[in-house]
Amino acid sequence: MDFNRRQVLTGTAAFAGATILGSPVVLAQAKPKVVVIGGGAGGATAAKYIAKDGAGAIAVTLVEPNANYQTCFHSNLYLGGLRDYASITHGYTALARMGIELVSDRAAVIDRDKKQVVLAGGQRLPYDRLVMSPGIDLKYDSVPGWSQAAEEAMPHAWKPGAQTLVLRKRLDAVPNGGVIVMIAPPNPYRCPPGPYERVSMMAHALKAAGKDRCKIFVIDPKESFSKQALFQEGWDNHYKGMVEWLGPKVHDGVKSVDPASGTVVTGFETYKNAALVNVIPAQMAGAIVRESSLANASGFCAIDPNSMKSAVDANIYVLGDASIAGDMPKSAFSANSQAKVAAMMIRGELAAARTFPARYANTCWSMINADDCVKIGGTYEAKDGKIAASSTFVSKTGETAELRKQQQAENMGWYAGITTDMLG
Amino acid sequence: MSVSLLLSAITGAGAGDRQLGEYLSGECVTCHQISGREVGAVPVITGWPEDHFVAVMNSYKEKHRDNRIMQTIAGRLAADEIEALAAYFGAISPQLGLR
Repeated sequence: MDFNRRQVLTGTAAFAGATILGSPVVLAQAKPKVVVIGGGAGGATAAKYIAKDGAGAIAVTLVEPNANYQTCFHSNLYLGGLRDYASITHGYTALARMGIELVSDRAAVIDRDKKQVVLAGGQRLPYDRLVMSPGIDLKYDSVPGWSQAAEEAMPHAWKPGAQTLVLRKRLDAVPNGGVIVMIAPPNPYRCPPGPYERVSMMAHALKAAGKDRCKIFVIDPKESFSKQALFQEGWDNHYKGMVEWLGPKVHDGVKSVDPASGTVVTGFETYKNAALVNVIPAQMAGAIVRESSLANASGFCAIDPNSMKSAVDANIYVLGDASIAGDMPKSAFSANSQAKVAAMMIRGELAAARTFPARYANTCWSMINADDCVKIGGTYEAKDGKIAASSTFVSKTGETAELRKQQQAENMGWYAGITTDMLG
Repeated sequence: MSVSLLLSAITGAGAGDRQLGEYLSGECVTCHQISGREVGAVPVITGWPEDHFVAVMNSYKEKHRDNRIMQTIAGRLAADEIEALAAYFGAISPQLGLR
């Protein structure tokens, strides 16, 4: 044995001694408790990273009413016939194996004074820190004539699960020559390029089924949208004559819809007997954060960009689509990134773990055709009181087919990566 | 002997701060799987020699390699942060999760 190795062994023994001496103090106190609400990209990641990196020092409970999780990301690929439903469905068993307590119930009320989550079933879960990642709720009254009762007739499919299946079934039933109308959402909303990837995947499925006389009209309240030049180039390349996007100056607003007859009335034109109307309404943070007075007038929650901590309650962190994350889009990648910052800060607060300045990242891939994939992304930091982009990139028009195909392979790798990172 | 030197001696690792590397790795493992499983066009990045890891990240940072995501990610990493990541990922067996 050389001198260095001997020194190392001595040092290791000293370390071990320190740990043993320290442990009774830890054992004498109850473990700090973290409750996480929502088992999506933000909540599942936060629960996993607090449990994993805390190595048992913190008791973590994940509250999620659904036994299975369907990813919103890549649900457009299911719509386009490029993924099956089972492949976008995931369970929580690996998180349970890590020692995270899974509670299959809905969080009904947050008692912020007592620091307790009250479940729909009546049980109370005390917390030292609460992580809230409830995602979005839909504003059912934002499109005249549409309502929750109409979501079967005119599906939104902007929350994954049953609605995803409804939209696919309806798409499959569209006859050749049928008209599809998508009502796109106003900002801010979940997954900025999502509606336009959906249009692409619907056109792909129709074309693959030989239904290339179909037409998709996109009625958009926005003057411009994410990756617009890339999508419009792609629609022209792959689905010529099948997609028509209309901005507000052209359509002059959605005046009303009639779910029973498949009618959409705009200031410019009335679409009658549409084979499918996909209404993607305006959005707000999930009810539980709004009802807990954590959201501001915008319907979303202000956070400290250095930590993802709620701006109004120092014991609560808000992640993902429900938060106001500055320049970061509402995406699964963003929520996953924010969750890691929150997990580190919570471990710092409750387990005296080392912390570092918050850093965030995002990338969103969008499929235009089976081998044509584009991407947008960036890195982000806390600056001037918000999460600000430090560097961003977006695919360019006119890229080679080879590069686009390579990006699709990245997209598939990312899906496997993030679902493993969250739930594996 | 300082703690960091001691830890370095235990693992035979370079100068990288592995705790910093573990935190920064959060940005990487959204795509690159820590288990060493490779899917699509996302390569395995665990178990690399540290100098190789540093050289690859620097080549993205200097835009000699052309992936826009990696150029952006590497672009904001300081030299000590790249070393920290190299130390963290380098110490993980590339076969960790493979069966």
